[in-house]
Amino acid sequence: MKCWFLAILGAVISGCAKDGQLHEAKKNTVMVEVTSQVWDYRLPWNPGTVSSGRGAGFIVAGKRIITNAHVISGARNITVQREADPRRYAAKVKYVAHDCDLAMLEVEDPAFFKGTTHLDLGGIPELESVVSVYGFPIGGDRLSVTRGVVSRIDYNAYTHSGRESHLAIQIDAAINPGNSGGPVMQSDKVVGVAFQGFRGDVAQNVGYMIPTPVIRRFLKDVEDGRYDYYVDIAVRWMPLENPAMRKYLGLANDGRGVVVTDVFSEGSSDGYLNKGDVLLSIDGHPIESDGSVRLEGKPVQLEEIVERKFSREEVRLEVWRGGQTETVNVPLKPADMFSMYEILYEPPPRYVLYGGLVFQPLTANLMAVLAGSADLRLKQKYTMFATDQMYRETPEPVILSAVLPDPSNVYLRGLAGQIVREINGRKIRTLADVEPALAANGERSVIRFEGDSRPAVLKREEVDRSTPRIMAQYGISEASRTEVGSRRLAKGSYSQEEKK
Amino acid sequence: MILGLFLASAAWAAEQDEAQGSVVRVRAAIQPYDQFRPWQKKAPYGLNGIGVVLPGGKVLVTAALVANRTEVGLEKPGSAEKCAAEVEAIDYEANLAVLRPEKAEFLKGFKGLALGPALKAGDTAEVWQLERNGELLRNQAEILTVGVGRYPNDEAGFLQYGVRVSLPKRDDSYTLPLIRQNQLVGMVMMYDRDSQEGTAIPGPMIDRFLQDVADGKYEGFPTLGVSWTTLRDPNLREEVKAPKSGGILVTRVNPRGTAGRAGLKEGDVILSVDGMKLDEDGNYRDPLYGLTAIGNLVRVRPKVGSQAKFLVSRDGKEMELAGTYDRRARDEAAIPTLAFDTQPRYLVLGGLVFQQLTGAYLQEWGEKWTERAPQRLVELFSFQQEKRPDPEKKVVFLSQVLPAAINLGYQHYSGLVLKNVNGTEIRSLAQLAEVLDSVKEGNLIFEFTDDPGKLVLDASEVKARQEEIRKAYGISELRKL
Repeated sequence: MKCWFLAILGAVISGCAKDGQLHEAKKNTVMVEVTSQVWDYRLPWNPGTVSSGRGAGFIVAGKRIITNAHVISGARNITVQREADPRRYAAKVKYVAHDCDLAMLEVEDPAFFKGTTHLDLGGIPELESVVSVYGFPIGGDRLSVTRGVVSRIDYNAYTHSGRESHLAIQIDAAINPGNSGGPVMQSDKVVGVAFQGFRGDVAQNVGYMIPTPVIRRFLKDVEDGRYDYYVDIAVRWMPLENPAMRKYLGLANDGRGVVVTDVFSEGSSDGYLNKGDVLLSIDGHPIESDGSVRLEGKPVQLEEIVERKFSREEVRLEVWRGGQTETVNVPLKPADMFSMYEILYEPPPRYVLYGGLVFQPLTANLMAVLAGSADLRLKQKYTMFATDQMYRETPEPVILSAVLPDPSNVYLRGLAGQIVREINGRKIRTLADVEPALAANGERSVIRFEGDSRPAVLKREEVDRSTPRIMAQYGISEASRTEVGSRRLAKGSYSQEEKK
Repeated sequence: MILGLFLASAAWAAEQDEAQGSVVRVRAAIQPYDQFRPWQKKAPYGLNGIGVVLPGGKVLVTAALVANRTEVGLEKPGSAEKCAAEVEAIDYEANLAVLRPEKAEFLKGFKGLALGPALKAGDTAEVWQLERNGELLRNQAEILTVGVGRYPNDEAGFLQYGVRVSLPKRDDSYTLPLIRQNQLVGMVMMYDRDSQEGTAIPGPMIDRFLQDVADGKYEGFPTLGVSWTTLRDPNLREEVKAPKSGGILVTRVNPRGTAGRAGLKEGDVILSVDGMKLDEDGNYRDPLYGLTAIGNLVRVRPKVGSQAKFLVSRDGKEMELAGTYDRRARDEAAIPTLAFDTQPRYLVLGGLVFQQLTGAYLQEWGEKWTERAPQRLVELFSFQQEKRPDPEKKVVFLSQVLPAAINLGYQHYSGLVLKNVNGTEIRSLAQLAEVLDSVKEGNLIFEFTDDPGKLVLDASEVKARQEEIRKAYGISELRKL
């Protein structure tokens, strides 16, 4: 058994935790035991390796259990157990939000909730105030409580998704595997979900919790029956500190505004904002020249305003453009152009096998397994994909990820890791283009790659002969898996959609 | 018995004389420029090797020994007599250099070593070192391989010997001569103490280099200017309509190069070059070395300016193409790979440091430069033929910002490629200087290819602050174009 260790949690010195808090926490904190399966992108046809682990969760209003996404990702079996009841109950994932590392579980058996109440969400705790952390960390099987103070409130990377940053609260309590998903409380209220920390050899007494604005956003997002992902304004901007730059843009030296330096094509602001626009305020909050706004009296990055919104909602911007102020309402949506950098958990890896050649879309998961062997061209394709807006041409680059050795492909093995440009004269823009293009051949298929690599040439009759042999040899039951259509579906909402 | 011993001693003495008259110690003081602070040099250090005295009274060393030198000195093995030397000719790709003593009489009495024949795998030779007292140390060496491989400062490869030799640790061993029967047959350029194997520049490469030097105008080794791939795969042969056997497939052609100007195109199958047939792996049968890679055929056998003849198969039809060997594919590039001995170009304006991109700048980021250096610069350099095919359009980039009040808000930017200034396209650092000089007042708008796109400075304010910034950072000259 492993205890989930992404999250760490600390607890503290509280003088303010009341007896009632421990009582409530005991009733409503649950142990979450999970058996999960992790896909192997090296062998995308395999169901993956099975492992099990333990985390925590807590009951909120409506008989719902909140835990971390990383506790239940890839789950094949989940059981929950309370301190006061020795029985284990089967649980299911109702919603999962990998981008903010939260998930909601449901338990069918009403007996599970007997004797429980629920925990209420509080606000953002003050710096240096004391919080208590509840969970089932390594070192025993019963509920554990630790305490710490709030050390820092800031944006931080949410490591589970591999690319997201949201508000996170740092606390100084001891952090141990198994705390993940457990409630962090102050004055009888939940003020966060313990979720990540550092290994002991990197830093001590540094743990992070997901604060309540992020939890509330998750709960609100799923009210309509699905999780829609964070939205993003999808622009790049630059602080406006330089007087010459301000003068050039026709701005007074009043310390206000940031300039838009890039607008991501197909993003929320595409068609609404332009390069060179100066953003003066967002939803009525004046934007300082360093990009900060005041929210509840505290300075935060202007993105925090956007963070709290949902798909299809608008953000109102006051824009300095062409020497005058305009108001621009930008309807918000997720930034799909960055989705390549998200680590995928639930959806099975997609691939096409042809004569021992394995084609896969370029994903964070694939890059993780190719990391050591990827050449410069592939590495740059990956790192510069979003910033260079390559997705406009090629929404989903296809990689010849492996060549499974067979007598028929002995001359092709050196081509593994190449980026597929075209097959039989057809441009390859997504994995879905591969099979039709291969089917379009006469007696020979010609696969061309980016750069000055040689092409791969395969004869249809040889492939027809070799494919059953290769599949038997390598234990592959399906020659392709391309069925997951939309990219968004392939990400956060996948497991939920599957269950419907 | 006694007679025999006597004879042997005589022979030894004679050989020792020969040695004394054939090699000198070479001491080079090295001080490379600091690519990140191009107005200054890095800490100096010394390299010591053994130079071979040539019959004409000059000294042969590897180019690596004298790269980025501030001075070079020669020293006689048996005495401390010294003489400064000048580099007469140097080729970093071929890793060879000829030194000339400043005092012609310094090497008087030195007979020098003549060049010996080409070696074959299995041949034996000696690697010479010098003891402190000037005596010669002859280490038995065996030639393991003869083939085309990478040289320290050349991507494409030249012929080299793989040598096995056990070399004791001695001073002056940065480069060492490879000798057979008192003739120079190679120069050891790399040696790995653990495996006791090294690589040597073969005699015929040295011969080719010296001939080029001798005619008074050094032209260097030509290049073909193509990328190619082997043609063993029968399916690929069929696809490109290659004949039954032999030939390599051209995957990219530099239109400026020897092959490009002779009319070769991507997709052509090169069947033979200068009458030498190529096999499917790109080897030809060399009269000296047997089966040898094409690199030697097109770079070492011909000279710049000599005729190049190609037999190619294009779309199944054979045709002959002719051209002239040259180095344009290598020399005419937007981003030069090699930059030794010369100060990097730079220009400091309002604390913004602009440089002209070279391979040397990127290498300054260390062994993992492809990961650590700004990715746009890595891309332009690595995929130059795709991204910057016009050799006249140099890559001028903002390498760093020296913080000053005038550049507030810009100080964290670096590695940005400059596109234009006040709307004028920037094609070189020298031209950037002209454009900047022409703007006396008003805005200086720098446009970059990447985020943040634009930075603006006030021209008259920049002018007023230049001297202040120069002094604050101790930069002697604000530009080197």
